[in-house]
Amino acid sequence: MRRVHIGLVCLIALVVCVGVFERPPKLADYDPERHAEFADTWNDRLHLAYWEKWGSFERDACQAMVDDFNRGQDALFVHYVNTSQVDRKSMLAIMGGCPPDVVGLWANNVQPFASADALMPLDELMAESGLSPDRYTPQYLDIGRYNGRIYALPTTPASVALFYNMDHFAAKADQLRSAGLDPDRPPTTIEELDRYADVLNEFNDDGSAQIMGFLPTEPGWWNAMWGYYFGGTLYDEESGQVTPDAPANLRAVAWVKRYAEKYGRDKLLQFRSGFGTFDSPNNAFIEGKVSMEIQGVWFPNFIRRHRPHMNFGVAPFPCAEGVPGPRSYLDADVIAIPRGCKHPKEAWEFVLHTQRGGLAILSRLQGKHMPVRQPPPLFRQGHPNLELDVFEQVAASPHSFIRPQLPVWQEYNDQLSRAFDHIWNYPLPADALAGLSGPALDAKIDGLCREEIETTYADVRETIQRKLDLYREYTARREAKEHHGR
Amino acid sequence: MGADLRKSLKGYAFILPWLIALFVFVGYPFFAGLYFSFCDFPPMKDPMFVGLENYTNLCTDPVFRRSLGVTVIYASVAIPLGVFFALCLALLLNTRIRGLSFYRVVFYLPHLIPTVVVALLWLWIFNPRYGLLNLVLRLVTTVADAWTNVFFDLPAALVAESFVRPSVTLLLAGPLIAFLAFGPWLRMTLAESPRWRLFLRICGVITLTLSIVTTLYATLHRLLPVDMQKLHSPGWLSDGNPLPSCVPFAPSWALWGIVIMGMWGVGQMAVIYLAKLQDVPTELYEAADIDGASWWSKTRHITIPLISPVILFNVVMAIIGTFQVFAEPYIMTGGGPEDKTRFVAMFVYDQAFRYQNVGYASAIAWMLFLLIVGLTLLAFRISRKHVYYAGR
Repeated sequence: MRRVHIGLVCLIALVVCVGVFERPPKLADYDPERHAEFADTWNDRLHLAYWEKWGSFERDACQAMVDDFNRGQDALFVHYVNTSQVDRKSMLAIMGGCPPDVVGLWANNVQPFASADALMPLDELMAESGLSPDRYTPQYLDIGRYNGRIYALPTTPASVALFYNMDHFAAKADQLRSAGLDPDRPPTTIEELDRYADVLNEFNDDGSAQIMGFLPTEPGWWNAMWGYYFGGTLYDEESGQVTPDAPANLRAVAWVKRYAEKYGRDKLLQFRSGFGTFDSPNNAFIEGKVSMEIQGVWFPNFIRRHRPHMNFGVAPFPCAEGVPGPRSYLDADVIAIPRGCKHPKEAWEFVLHTQRGGLAILSRLQGKHMPVRQPPPLFRQGHPNLELDVFEQVAASPHSFIRPQLPVWQEYNDQLSRAFDHIWNYPLPADALAGLSGPALDAKIDGLCREEIETTYADVRETIQRKLDLYREYTARREAKEHHGR
Repeated sequence: MGADLRKSLKGYAFILPWLIALFVFVGYPFFAGLYFSFCDFPPMKDPMFVGLENYTNLCTDPVFRRSLGVTVIYASVAIPLGVFFALCLALLLNTRIRGLSFYRVVFYLPHLIPTVVVALLWLWIFNPRYGLLNLVLRLVTTVADAWTNVFFDLPAALVAESFVRPSVTLLLAGPLIAFLAFGPWLRMTLAESPRWRLFLRICGVITLTLSIVTTLYATLHRLLPVDMQKLHSPGWLSDGNPLPSCVPFAPSWALWGIVIMGMWGVGQMAVIYLAKLQDVPTELYEAADIDGASWWSKTRHITIPLISPVILFNVVMAIIGTFQVFAEPYIMTGGGPEDKTRFVAMFVYDQAFRYQNVGYASAIAWMLFLLIVGLTLLAFRISRKHVYYAGR
């Protein structure tokens, strides 16, 4: 027994010793391999932590921007910390009172973080530093705005457009001409897109798809946003109501449903299950299984990585007839200063650098455009993204849109996805559609599923509006309580 | 200080680290969660007391109702199936066959593989186009269609005037009738030639099985044409339609996928059964053998009553486990399609970490807790008359 006691005491002593004497790594630790060029000024610099989400080539771009800042002065040194699940880790760090100095968040984090007072407002700092809001594309700046104040600034922006396989267009040139379509240009309206898709489709003998001209579910990342291309919106700013069942949105859903029924839900499911992951040679568009696809400004990077000689074109994604365009869904990564960080002033110096010289480095190395109205004169020269002008054009369009800046957006988006899946899978009687084609088939499909679409999206409206109202009520109560407490 | 007290203090001193951890990491979150369930609590703000509002909102929340429905449907399918298959497996593993240890290891192995790996593996197995499962299904259903078509009008079942093909059906029905008619005769009179008796019995069993399976397959084609057509290459995790499609509250194909995947891990349950099975006194079986009891009688009257406490244990663990399913659907389907695999545990996670409603998530977690406690108590209550404890 005595030996057991002695053993236990020794074990505890060992644990205590490790706890006391083990020196954890520190941010300012010097690494001769990576920091050799900063050796002379290393100890004189203030070290800042910058948490950012990116790995791979996007990380290299961020690191180049950080290096540019570190080389440009000798008072500060920013450490790029590659952080997975950056939003959750930042939230915990901020709540724990130990946040990084600068954090790179997703666009949809701005609202919850800002409403919780977890980010520093940047308006005054921008004004002091002469960083005018007017230099930005308005939608990109709005992504970082909450309750009229700016809490985050855009870093790398994203816009989306129509990618089309020019070889497929050339191979079906005669058929396209016969259908009254021009094989040398992409479609300009959604109605035209459907006609192009019809001609470009190829099926096997058993009726299964070999090539699909277009699939609204590919890649399926913006299924909730189709309504905007039909002139709809998901939120009405004036009334403060969510509008998933606005007529234009329902028109978009009916359009998607027509694809499901015309080509067969189960057949399309089998077809899609053969697609590889996005960043692979088996990507549906890269492999040539889908002729036209909505994708983002980043996509040419991946096409050229996996199929360098692919003959593709990019154009603004078409809108429904009568809807003004061009329009694109706009998104952006943002950079912010967490509330409670140890060196806010110095952190702002770095953020300011990212917005001045940094944006050009970052956007260029990531193959994207800049979130500003006027990029530097040499920005486009030798830019790796040869389709940049299209993305700049759609990003600058006043018709382009961002997601609704709502506190319940995540939930809203999930419910829209569920509704979308539900309508896609909603079974229609096969015998009712048998023998129909063209506009008659479309009309029949619309007629058979109209009620289900209306009911499903009305349910989404009710559910989300209730959540939104509840959020507003709690916020008002909380503010009243705080006001009363003072 | 008395010797007893000193002994007690020493004991407490030894368990003190565990006690501290219990209070800090289990006790505090448990009761804090209860308090938060009465609060509006975005993680970066202070909790604000709102009374029972979270619970009343829960009752009218369609997403919660859907996720609770999915969980209950899953539990009502997965628990009986899991308990049944595990018991069958344990009975098989309890027989004296060559390589028994190997089989025991093989069936237990899935339980040792991390959940994430299992989920990713099954994602491939369930791939509608290239997955192993559909590859086998395509082969089996093609052969089954061809075979059944000889006797019944299969593909044209929807439009065919006659479902059964009378002339050829005799080919199937003839041996069946013969077997049913002469089965007892075979059993009684061919005792003198055991080989012939065995051969005829095997033929009889094969014929009977084929007859039943073929008729069942054809009937299913008749009753559920859409589902049987889908069975040739189901969409599994991407298909939110119910199976069978004529039952509105039936599990979706996606949920069946998760159930099937869950069956892969019944080895652990089977090992627990096995431990108890080997504890059943052999004298009881010997006595039953002397009385001329069949295998089924021995299983029903000796094995199952004696292992019933372990069956209860496994049922209770299965109730708790199925109501907390999270990792597999989270990785494989993310709750889709159409929320058909969004379990309550996933809803709790979404509310707390994606939608920033810690108070609401706590209320759901407490509802789930109460539901599990209620079902467990119900299981204990129902089991009173059916569980046999040898010690009492």
